[in-house]
Amino acid sequence: MIIRSGTEGNLTMTPREEILGRMKTAEKGKAPFRPSMPPLTELALDGEQMIQRFTLELSNQTGVVHRTSGKDEVLSLLTEIASREGLKTVITAGDDVIHSLDLGAWGAAVGVKVIATKNIKDRETLREEAFTADAGITSADFAIAETGTIGMIFNEHQPRLTSIAPPIHIAIIPVERLYPIYESAIERVFKNVDDAPSQFCFITGPSSTADIQAVQFKGMHGPTKMIVIFIMGQA
Amino acid sequence: MEAQSNWFRETANRELKNELSQLFLSLLPPGFTILRQIAMSSFPDPTSAVEHARSIRAEVVERMPQLLEEFEKNAVSHGAKVLWARDARETTAMILDIAKQRGINYVAKGKSMVTEEVGLNKYLAMNGIEVFETDLGEVITQQLSLPPFHIVGPAINVSPEEISAVFLKKGIIKEPTTNPIELGKAVRAYLREKFWHLDMGIVGVNMAVAETGTIINVENEGNIRLVKSSPRAVVAVMSLEKVVPTMADAIHMVRVLCRNCTGQKMSSYVSMDTGPRKFKELDGPDELFIIIVDNGRSEIYRDRQTREVLRCIRCGACLNTCPVYAKIGGYPYGFAYSGPMGQVLTPLLVGIGETSDLYRACTLCRACKLVCPAGVDHPSLLLLYRSREIEHRDGNGQSLLRRLEKVATFLASLGMSNGHVWNLGAKIMRLVLRRLAHDGYITHMPLRAKAWTDCRDLPSIPNRTFHERWKDLKGSDYTFGNRR
Repeated sequence: MIIRSGTEGNLTMTPREEILGRMKTAEKGKAPFRPSMPPLTELALDGEQMIQRFTLELSNQTGVVHRTSGKDEVLSLLTEIASREGLKTVITAGDDVIHSLDLGAWGAAVGVKVIATKNIKDRETLREEAFTADAGITSADFAIAETGTIGMIFNEHQPRLTSIAPPIHIAIIPVERLYPIYESAIERVFKNVDDAPSQFCFITGPSSTADIQAVQFKGMHGPTKMIVIFIMGQA
Repeated sequence: MEAQSNWFRETANRELKNELSQLFLSLLPPGFTILRQIAMSSFPDPTSAVEHARSIRAEVVERMPQLLEEFEKNAVSHGAKVLWARDARETTAMILDIAKQRGINYVAKGKSMVTEEVGLNKYLAMNGIEVFETDLGEVITQQLSLPPFHIVGPAINVSPEEISAVFLKKGIIKEPTTNPIELGKAVRAYLREKFWHLDMGIVGVNMAVAETGTIINVENEGNIRLVKSSPRAVVAVMSLEKVVPTMADAIHMVRVLCRNCTGQKMSSYVSMDTGPRKFKELDGPDELFIIIVDNGRSEIYRDRQTREVLRCIRCGACLNTCPVYAKIGGYPYGFAYSGPMGQVLTPLLVGIGETSDLYRACTLCRACKLVCPAGVDHPSLLLLYRSREIEHRDGNGQSLLRRLEKVATFLASLGMSNGHVWNLGAKIMRLVLRRLAHDGYITHMPLRAKAWTDCRDLPSIPNRTFHERWKDLKGSDYTFGNRR
């Protein structure tokens, strides 16, 4: 172990003062120049191209992308997924996109137990439900065409575990939230730094690893499958 | 972590004879390099993307103390607790304190190189706190007490048989299996309970954004997200150089990091935490500690030449392109950091006097420098360490070797400034070398020259030089003119 004696500095100085002081009194270098970059080509994509790009990129990560016209199609798609994957319990969270689907009624009709995080009061209950659910159904704040990525702001309506603990993550996203590049999301999320969410996350496909013999597989610690359902605009 | 760089030669020789290591080394670095090139080509202009990344890292190095203060201010204003640690002892004691005060029995860790550097796992275990590594590769290296073979895939070379055996012993699997996917899924099942009931998580930091006070983690497995979401307390450990100026810079560095690290355009998860959970939020930590670790870096920073080491973003591209790493793998480097990035960083952390083999195990081919997205000039740094070591040695009196070196350089300069002396010297050398040759090869040389032939044979010297033959040819009618 490397042990550097703190006593070589002034004993009355805090580590912070000592570390910063040592760096600040160091000889200064010259100011670096930042060369500009050509803009990312994704910025030129139109709406349909963005969906195609998103679908291609997420499919490369074994993710599945659906397009739906609205509530009815979303629900029938969920029914199909539930029966194919044998879902018994799902945990749901999100904004109005999720609320307007009335997933409680859907679950009752198709025989899937639906746990809405808005009815959960504490961490212990949330953990138990999230770690035992067969799937998490969430909204997402952004979809990013660049790499088939979704962006999620975590807050009181959207706990973190719903999208990472269950083995399947289903994200339902209005297509208006589809943007070309990461910056489109970042600029909005961090526009006012004081209101920055406690966590923001870019998610690209299911969890994965290749740590043993470089054999790649999906579903390491997070979801094994990821499904994105776009709700298309009225146009 | 104990630095074991003094075992470099011994371990390197052993690894050269390890067939499994050699097999992986023949596949892995070239594979990563190809994936990296494909991924980089998705930038409209890969060169300018790299140059932009390098200029970001240059700015970080230039403005490091100011950026760290800005980061601290913004992280604290969002409710994070920022702590500073001078060295390994302070870092580990601090984390133990946090755990003890909260009555923690076990912690789960996301991959973090700096916690390896400060020997955190050993320290916590000694003090009664069980540590669960959660990155699949780290789970394996932890169970087998192995150093990392590669900074990105620390156990990528370990045979499934070996993993199966240790997993059986530790009860992670019930039946032996050599299927990598089954082994991985067994670890998933084994750690799930730990994530679920976790009270304290420890993670590293890929980037700390000064303008927002945000910490960013880049990962594929989801273990870091779980470690940052489930428990009441999260401790994020970062070394000084993780800071970046703005969120825009961070996003560009994420693009560059993923492409250079695993050849992905984007990792599965890039999570950005700004402070602990807010009122009414169901998960995320009640307390977010961010420990800023120095451990020798502010001293490295004081020297304008060594400061450049702090550009490194730990992507591992230099390992994959290094011809030395491609023969010996990660074990000989004997520390948390391997390959060229380890060769430039470890000597500064551990001491130039103790790590001579590290900065000498380099052909100065510059492949690492060319590929580095952070703009680290490894060859220049290695030369700097070599010269500093020589200066240091000279200060400690005149050894026999030093005197011989002086005689040799005197003779060389004499020869190089006079053609006749040079030719005479060359003639004598040819005589000596011819005497050493057998069957057209020189396989052994005496004294210190032995190292040259330890691992390779030299072709023997022809009887006559080009000049001598040319003289004869000029006497004949063989000239360029009439050859046509």
